[in-house]
Amino acid sequence: MSATIPISAPVQSAVAELLGELYAKSGCEKFGLTCEHFAAILGSVATKCLPAEASESEARKFLLTLHVDELALARACAAGDNSAWEIFLTRYREKLYQAALRIAREDSSARELADSLYAELYGTSTREGERVSKLDSFTGRGSLEGWLRTVLAQEFVNRYRRMKRLVSLDEEIEDGTQFAAPEQEPVSSADPRLESSIDAALAALSSEDRLVLAEYYLDRRTLAEIARILGVHESTVSRKLDKLAKSLRKKILADMTRRGIDRREAEERLEVDVRDLRVNIRRSLGQESPSAAFLEKENTVNFQQKIAPRAKG
Amino acid sequence: MRDVPKIVLKRLQETEAAGAHPDADLLTAFAEQSLIQSERARVMEHLAHCSDCREVVAFALPATETVAVAASDNLARARWLSWPVLRWSVAIAGMIVITSIGIVQYRQRQKSDALVASLNQRNETAATEEQALPPSPPASEPQGNLLQTEKEMQEQLKRKALSSQADNLLLDRLVRPVNPTSPAASAMHRPPSRSATGGSVRVGVAGGAAPKAALSSPRDTFAVAGDSKNAMSAAAAKPAPSSSARQVVKVPPSSQTLEVAQSEAAPAAGTTPNQASDQLVEKEKDQALQYQYSIRSESNEAKNRATPQAGSGGASAPAPVPPKFAEAPALMQHTSPQWSISADGTLQRSLDAGKTWMDVNVNSEPVSGRSNAAITAESSYGHENRKKKVEAQPRPVFRAVSAQGAEVWAGGSSAMLYHSTDSGTHWTRVLPASAAATLTGDIVSIEFFDSQHGRIATSAGEVWITSDDGQTWRRQ
Repeated sequence: MSATIPISAPVQSAVAELLGELYAKSGCEKFGLTCEHFAAILGSVATKCLPAEASESEARKFLLTLHVDELALARACAAGDNSAWEIFLTRYREKLYQAALRIAREDSSARELADSLYAELYGTSTREGERVSKLDSFTGRGSLEGWLRTVLAQEFVNRYRRMKRLVSLDEEIEDGTQFAAPEQEPVSSADPRLESSIDAALAALSSEDRLVLAEYYLDRRTLAEIARILGVHESTVSRKLDKLAKSLRKKILADMTRRGIDRREAEERLEVDVRDLRVNIRRSLGQESPSAAFLEKENTVNFQQKIAPRAKG
Repeated sequence: MRDVPKIVLKRLQETEAAGAHPDADLLTAFAEQSLIQSERARVMEHLAHCSDCREVVAFALPATETVAVAASDNLARARWLSWPVLRWSVAIAGMIVITSIGIVQYRQRQKSDALVASLNQRNETAATEEQALPPSPPASEPQGNLLQTEKEMQEQLKRKALSSQADNLLLDRLVRPVNPTSPAASAMHRPPSRSATGGSVRVGVAGGAAPKAALSSPRDTFAVAGDSKNAMSAAAAKPAPSSSARQVVKVPPSSQTLEVAQSEAAPAAGTTPNQASDQLVEKEKDQALQYQYSIRSESNEAKNRATPQAGSGGASAPAPVPPKFAEAPALMQHTSPQWSISADGTLQRSLDAGKTWMDVNVNSEPVSGRSNAAITAESSYGHENRKKKVEAQPRPVFRAVSAQGAEVWAGGSSAMLYHSTDSGTHWTRVLPASAAATLTGDIVSIEFFDSQHGRIATSAGEVWITSDDGQTWRRQ
């Protein structure tokens, strides 16, 4: 297993210090996990998740935030412990199916989705002749239930891609890559000055601002959904969006003015280009487009826009 | 509102460049807000550029949280209906009631303003003022078991209710915040509103004082009951016994004489306010409404008992026109105050279409025995805009009076000009002056065309006009 990864000294001492407490908390003995084994798991998790230069106190803090009981359960399941599996199934079978149903929106595909996940969890795929359970990659940083939902969602998104587009299998199999990164599509635009102004403005955004923008305008998620994703209040998201829309426009216009475009002309260009683009986007959202990659991308977006409202319920 | 140009969105989309996707662990921890800051920023950065991972995170949102969010929304809504909010809605409701009463009254007064009639003489105001002083101290005794603060408040209130218009404004300011805390407020406004048809000059005051009374003491309630009764209103609680009606007619509307009625009634009902005050102290505020009513009826009885005293006290001041008790309430319901000047220059007011006339004292401070300095201070507080502060005056000799609804102007010898905005309950002296000159001589005529525009003629032949309700004056 992953115990082969070298564990740094601070992590090791932190694990040693907290092992007794965490071991008791995790209820490992029920699943036949020895203390040493659990220490190895903790060490590997901490090493995987913490930056290499993490201090001992950081490691201690990290270890204390782990969902150790769920981590123990998951790892015991991965190791094939029957009592662990029993507990896992009673606890999560129904929840898993409900989550799948919410994602797939339809009973049969939900069952299929959930079943395929079970197969992965149980470990059908083999690597180097060894049964590898997906539960082995659970680190206990989030809740096991949340992790299961995330895995389901990843699986679903991957499937959708597989249906819609031929994704290179190697990409998928690649370790740590759940699905392929979207490719960059060739950029085409009328005015490079306008584009670079926009890009500069977008690049200046904080990642959270950009995330909110993308969630709202590209993914068409509701304010409530975005608020839940970010863990803030809906009104905060709303205010942020208002502010962003305003400041973006202002920044872009200011930048264009600086590049020697008359303010009014800049405004016009921003608007005129919108109309042109909307047509373009719509066409590319349809079927025919000179850029295949772009088509794929837009289709994905289109799909997201269609399912976003449904996913809300 | 928040439209972002499509080209910007397109660039946003096109510049999405996702590296290696964070694993399910990280995404879960991100959605559960359990990542440390630096890691969270890293995942956020990725999500900002990766629609797939955003999709995953959105799909993986727990369903239960939807329920939880909805539940907390309900909770928030329930809280929205809770006391702090209700308190303000009660306040607003109270304001609306007061405003609508004011409008109704104003209209009715306008109708009957033209009816100002004959002169009548009655000049015992000073006498009643003197009578008012002695009974006051015993009147406060029954409140011995009220809280000390309440006593002080009452004392303050009492003094304030007595004199100048500036005080009235102060009182109003005090009362308004108190209003909403008493559910009795709206109920107490009702009797005056009925008396509005009687042309009650005092409704504003009565309505304003009522909530306060509900909170503070039965004695103030007497004042209110006396007020509204005086204004007419017996019909509100029960048909007025004739003795009560007599009391009504005999009590002149000036605050001092009211005080007489109160203080005479209070000892007579010595035990009653005691009990009532106990009740008020013990019970919740929201029960004050019932007690208010009980106090009102008690005060009615007290008044009946007190009538002989009041009768003997007021005997020196026989009404020039014998009141027709039976008719008086009915008549009063249909008229608004009428104003007149007696032969010796006393300002008089009739609340019953000219049947009885009562002297109105525009300088009503001596009863409380306060220093002139205090009056001046409070007057200036309430009326910074006034040209001149109110000071203790010899009783003015009036020559002219003009009333527009609740707005009353009275003028007389040596540039005496008094203004009341509440139908004569509180008065302010106004000295018309412009940059160049000050009004001198006797005022011989006052004409107000509406509440804002007026014209004053003096014996010196000057004509002064105002177009802002006496705030500024211009000499013609």
